[in-house]
Parts: sequence; C-alpha cells; structure tokens
Amino acid sequence: MKYRLVSGLETHVELATATKIFCGCTTAFGGSPNTHCCPVCTGQPGALPVLNKKVVEYAIRAGLATHCTINTTTHLDRKNYCYPDLPKAYQISQFDKPLCEHGYVELESGKRIGITRIHIEEDAGKLVHESGFTYVDYNRGGVPLIEIVSEPDISSPEEAKEYVEKLQLIMRYIGVSDCKMQEGSMRCDVNISVMPEGATEFGTRTEIKNMNSISYIEKAMAYEYERQIEVIEGGGKIVQATLRYDEHTGETSVMRTKEDAQDYRYFPEPDILTVVIPESKVEEIKNSLPELPTDKLHRYIDELKINPATAKLLYKYKRVCDFAERAFALGAGVKNTVNLIVGTLYSKLETEEDKEKFVLPVSADEMAALVKLVDDGKINITLAQKTLSAMAEEGKPVSAYIKPEDIAGMDDGELESICRQAVEANAGAVADFKAGKEKAIFALYGFVKKATQGKADIKKADEIIKKLILG
Amino acid sequence: MSVTQKEIKTLARLSRLEFSDGEIEKFAPEFEEIIEFANKINEQVEGDTGSIREVVSRTVKWEDLREDEVKESLPNEKITSNVQAEGGYFPVRRVVK
Repeated sequence: MKYRLVSGLETHVELATATKIFCGCTTAFGGSPNTHCCPVCTGQPGALPVLNKKVVEYAIRAGLATHCTINTTTHLDRKNYCYPDLPKAYQISQFDKPLCEHGYVELESGKRIGITRIHIEEDAGKLVHESGFTYVDYNRGGVPLIEIVSEPDISSPEEAKEYVEKLQLIMRYIGVSDCKMQEGSMRCDVNISVMPEGATEFGTRTEIKNMNSISYIEKAMAYEYERQIEVIEGGGKIVQATLRYDEHTGETSVMRTKEDAQDYRYFPEPDILTVVIPESKVEEIKNSLPELPTDKLHRYIDELKINPATAKLLYKYKRVCDFAERAFALGAGVKNTVNLIVGTLYSKLETEEDKEKFVLPVSADEMAALVKLVDDGKINITLAQKTLSAMAEEGKPVSAYIKPEDIAGMDDGELESICRQAVEANAGAVADFKAGKEKAIFALYGFVKKATQGKADIKKADEIIKKLILG
Repeated sequence: MSVTQKEIKTLARLSRLEFSDGEIEKFAPEFEEIIEFANKINEQVEGDTGSIREVVSRTVKWEDLREDEVKESLPNEKITSNVQAEGGYFPVRRVVK
C-alpha cells in the first residue's frame, strides 16, 4: 500500500529586538551566565512585565509578510508548566487570540502551505546538564519569540525544507530575525503522520521536538515516515507521542506519550492588559514592508529579464539585491551588473553567511561606474572582471585600475590600423564572413581585443571592420 | 470541591516543600475551605464568566507599550544572591537522565 505523508511545522523564531519581551534586559546572544537578567525575567515576586512595542510590531510584520490577518485586539495568556528553565513556572504566551492568523507561504511549485497562526511568547532559559546537576542560565529567558504554526499541508521532506527556507528568507528580508538555526534563533517542531493513499482521515501524529537544522528535519521526517509505515504494516498502532531525533543514529525516540501530556491550564495573563492595535498602525507597518522574496524573484525574471538561474542566485541575499538595485538606479545595465556579481563578487564570498552579510569594499557607485564602462563598450567584460576582482580585494576605486587615457578610446586612426591588421591576419574568417557566416567576425573582435588589451570599443571596431571587409 | 491528600502532596512537591503526614492530613480540609471561599466569585456571576473576561480585558494603548530600549541588567551576584551559584549558574537537581 502507498502512504501519504502529512506534516505541519511549528517554527520558533527569535525576534531581533534589542531588549527582551517584558523587560529592558539585552537580548544579545551569549554573555556570561545570568548577566542579562533582572527581577522581571527571573520571575521575582512582585515584578511586573511590560510588553515591548517592537515585539508586537515585528510579529505583525511577520504576519503581514505571510499573508495573515492581524487581530488588532489581542491578549497574552499564561501557559503553566514546572521546569527549571522557566523561573515563573509559567510561560507568557498566547492561546486563543494570537496576533496573526490564516496566512500562507507559497512554494516554488505554486503550492501554498497554510499558516494557522503566529503568536508571540517568551523564550525559556538555557539548561546545561552536567554530572548530577542541571545548571540554569536565564540570559535567554524572556527573549521574544514568534511561533509560526503551519497547517498540515506539507507532504514531503523536500517541501518541509523549502517551506523552512522560505520562512527564513522572508523573516530575514523583513528584518525581524536573523533565523540562525545553529544559534537557536530558529527552531522547528515537526508534526508528522501517515495515511493510506486515498484515505480521508489523518493518521495519529507524532511530534519531533526542537530541530535545529534543515537537513536534520529532512532526515528525521524521512525516518519517521518509514517508521510509522512499518508499525502500521506490522499490524501495530501509532502512539501519539513527543519524540526526539538523535543526530548520530538518525533515529527518533520517545520523550513522552500522550498519557503524560501536561495540562497547561492556560488562562488570560492578568499582569498584561489586552493590547489594542490601531488599524492605522497595521497599515503603517504594511507600507513599510520591503518587496518580498517571491515578488522580487518574479520581477527579476519577468521585468528585468535576468535568467532564472541567476535570479535565484541573487534573490536569496537581500543585501546583494540592494547593492545590485542601487547600481541599476545609478545607470548600470542589468545584465552586466548581475553577471559581474555572480561571476566575480560571489567568488570572494564563499559561505552562505558571507553572501548573506555581503561585506565587500566595493560601493554601488564604483560598481555602477565599472559596469557603465562595459555597457558603453569602453572595456570588455574580461577586463571588468579582473578590475572588479582587484577592487573587491584592495578596496580601491575603478579609477585606480582604469585610467582615463585607457578608455578615452584610442584615437580613431589607431583603432583603424589595428582593425586593418585584424582583417589581414584573419583572411579565412573574412572569407567566411563574406560567405554569410556572421559568427566568423568574432575572430576579428578577438584579435582587436587582444591587441588593445580589452580597451577598444568593440562597437566602433565592428563598424570599421565591416567597412573594411564590405567596402 | 474536595481536595485529596494526594493533591496536597503533589502541590508540596511542586513547591519544593516538605510536610509530615499529620500536616498533610490537616491541610486537606483547610484547602477545601479556601477553594470554597474562592468559588463564591463563581456564584456571584452565576456561571457567566464573560463578565470576568471584561474585567481582565481592560486595554492598553499602543503608545503605552514599552519602547525597545536597553536598561542595565542586575549584576550576577545580585541575581544569584539567594542561591549557592556555581560559575554564575543556578544549580538544580539534574532534570534529564
């Protein structure tokens, strides 16, 4: 029998605010243990939380960027559970009135993964287990999170990967999180069940907790899919359970089953009043959103006519796009700009993170100046690549490499004499060209480029050569 | 609403408090009294908890939310002054196997 995989993801994203969700302590990553703490985030008696405006703003940004509706009247709730990472013995979260609901993320295929809800909550502290003790660091306690809950629309590990990557990209574009999975600023719980092809009822699901890498999500899903099928085919039943994934063995194991599921006793948080967000504020946030990744990709391909493969190499990195678009605005041609970025600048940026940060000593102005020389036929692309490579390494302007006299164009007499030499030296190509093989003329361009070290205006050379050949 | 001794024991464990069997026996009826007292609120609203919700949902204006400005945190010695901190951490009994 064939089985369908049914999966939904709960994704926690740490918001890039300066302070925690309910107090003014810094959210900086790391720091000596328990030094980013105060009475509020360590749950001292009598301390009162005050909601951070930016958290609400960022969560709304995330909601709007994923096509959610925004609940402009929203409150927080207490989720009670007893564990040392939670000093108050409850987490302030949202239960029945999340800030954002009913959105979606669109995959490349056009398939939409529904977003059930996005709510705000506080992160818990960090636990370090050693010998007979657990050591608690509350620096992370109270750091603002959004939890993005998807519909069970994901039907393969590949779709899960694409969904998470898309979320990551969107959150980075709108500037609400750096979404670094390895630093824990983005983590996923994966809900998964299987059902026979054609069945209408979902199977019993399991939940794999706290996945912090996309490749592990894919592997864990693939493993759990096979495991569940094996259980069912063997006549067994799937037990609803929370699982952990072991990266070393590549297997899942049970943390707890439904029987020991906690009753969180949610109730409205009495220390924080219901928040009323003016419609005008939501409108303002909407207007401040940048162009979203999918829109940008489509615009690059459809309007700027960038080939799809190149467009995909660009749109993943917002800073690269900003740089390219500034160069376009300064008059640099699209084709030469993007080819130089992908061909030359990317070779200086080895890792994803390098491209993400895009720190190079080349300004958009200098880039535009260089590209315009190519656009105008004053230098050829090979010389531009060499120049750009040196600029990226040495941080000097275009003028340091290409002197005005180099591009003042050679005087016409000199160019004509070189063209003449080209025609004489390439009799075969000339004959072919005359016979109607238009491409044969490239051999002559090559000669001119070589003889002028790339400085000749090829458009001009073309005119001269054709005049010489055709008379 | 009856409170069992087992519930008292669970509460005591969660609160990290230790009681003798005699104390627990005594506490159960006392807790019942407290809960009965609190239940009077329910009698007042006669099952209509909507009006309680209204009290809870007094609202805060957008302008009154906190600006995202960093304030100084407390020094580690102060934060951990009620425990025997180790390396700046709060040590607790190991919670995972």
